[in-house]
Amino acid sequence: MTQNPQNATYAAVSAIDPYIAEQLAQDFPPADFRRIIETFEDDLGRLARQLEAAAIAGNWDGYQRAAHSLAGAAAAVGAVPLEQAARVAMDPRSPHPPAVVVPVIRDRAQAALQELSALVARADGR
Amino acid sequence: MSGSAGRVLLVEDTPTQAEVARSHLRELGHEIRTVETATEALAQARAWDPDAILLDLELPDFSGLEVLRTLRAEGFEAAVIVITANASMNTAVEVMRAGATDFLPKPYPKAKLVFTLQNAMEKRALVIEKRALETELQAARALTARPGFMGFIGASPAMQAVYRTIESVASSRASIFITGESGTGKELAAEAVHRASPRAGRPFVALNCGAIPRDLLESEIFGHVKGAFTGATESRAGAARQADGGTLFLDEIGEMPLEMQVKLLRFVQTGSFQPVGGSRPERVDVRFVCATNRDPLAEVEAGRFREDLYYRLYVVPIELPPLRTRGADALLVARAFLAQFSREERKRFRRFSPEAEAAILGYPWPGNVRQLQNVVRNVVVLHDGGQVEAAMLPAPLLRAGPRGAAAAPAASAEPVPPAVEIMPLAEMERRLILAALEQTGQDVPQAASLLEINPSTIYRKLQAWRGPKRAAG
Repeated sequence: MTQNPQNATYAAVSAIDPYIAEQLAQDFPPADFRRIIETFEDDLGRLARQLEAAAIAGNWDGYQRAAHSLAGAAAAVGAVPLEQAARVAMDPRSPHPPAVVVPVIRDRAQAALQELSALVARADGR
Repeated sequence: MSGSAGRVLLVEDTPTQAEVARSHLRELGHEIRTVETATEALAQARAWDPDAILLDLELPDFSGLEVLRTLRAEGFEAAVIVITANASMNTAVEVMRAGATDFLPKPYPKAKLVFTLQNAMEKRALVIEKRALETELQAARALTARPGFMGFIGASPAMQAVYRTIESVASSRASIFITGESGTGKELAAEAVHRASPRAGRPFVALNCGAIPRDLLESEIFGHVKGAFTGATESRAGAARQADGGTLFLDEIGEMPLEMQVKLLRFVQTGSFQPVGGSRPERVDVRFVCATNRDPLAEVEAGRFREDLYYRLYVVPIELPPLRTRGADALLVARAFLAQFSREERKRFRRFSPEAEAAILGYPWPGNVRQLQNVVRNVVVLHDGGQVEAAMLPAPLLRAGPRGAAAAPAASAEPVPPAVEIMPLAEMERRLILAALEQTGQDVPQAASLLEINPSTIYRKLQAWRGPKRAAG
């Protein structure tokens, strides 16, 4: 895992690990897959808000907890670049302040959602 | 329990993760409840008594590891599968030590979750079934003692326990780990498990990990493709492929090199492997039976056997007792071998003399059944007659003494105090004759009769003993 959240090389290629996400899409009926991605979208919205609020308030525990949950949610759907950025936020030894990490997380979350939505659409059309 | 529905408690604080797991499990027909905190997990486990718990380690209030320890301390037997993103070896070892049934790193494919959960629930069902059977059969044990089972010969309580374990676990697909000294019948036990199982019609493939050169072991187990290495002129299926649908018996697994243990672990975990030189994984359905004559846990502690592999394979242990602890089984086994070898060698031997039987029962048999087998075959080949006499047996058996000595293993060389004081033979003779004279009131003919010697021998001895005294005086 890179320790530099701004290193977007991987994200430029893909915001999701195609193996994990495709595996999910294949493992589940389209309706189930859609529900998982919708749950992920809800998680993202809620956790990103918690993360930003904690960062602004200087609430380090809250910041780490939100980042941990984000990393877990992202890993579950194969959003590896997002997971990596969240893990940077979780890491107490990370040199990157929230002001740097949070925008990266936001961008990667958006990219992951876009790709996953496309995957859902493809699964629906199967 | 295999394939049947159960109650599964999902402890996961991230909704996406929980939704993925729920979706995986839904079509298996399990009843699922989800909680997000460690406190709720403990409350649900106590109130609902689930068959299995999928437990995230990092929870908002306190650690999943604490949940696991608390439940185990309270005697909960639910299968607990720990799921975590921090899949380090240390974590795996820690949770297994705390009583986890299995360990699953995130993210996991559906097949892996299903496989792990079914294994864990099956293991739990076996524990429950084993206890129920033990209770049920306790009263009937004496009546149901069998003289043999699936090629084993022996009616001792220790062997009855082995037979029962084999029967109990045969229908499951849980891995079996057989331990026992050399010659106790580990391969026979593995075959018995296979023959008593629903896989009996499929292959039983045995591989002795200690007898195969390290370089060839991977190819022997997983096969190879043509050109994989010098001399691989044809593709060849390994033991794993050959055992598909059946049982793969890995004997002397403690001899397996560590680097090979890693590959075996992957195979055991996923059911798939890659032949040497191959580019695609192959999936097979095999039941693992392993055996070793070493103490597997000591091997783990010594760093010679991977702990994660140990926990994967050591699901149902079967410990084969040494022959010296099996009482009269030695005689049953000897008689069976005598009948078999007499038939094979076209000899007339039908029985052992009482002295020969006493010698067989009195010997500790450090080489166990294999040694007994060799002794009987040796006797049958080298002698003739209808009855095996003690004199036909190898000298060490006759020196072993009465039954009591057999209880101690041959390896423990504690000196046994002699029944009589050891002294020069001439002195022993003198004391014995004088004792006989003392007992008969110095009646030489009567003393001679007791000693079964001629009275003139006593007179001669007395004369001789007096002589030196006079000379000395």
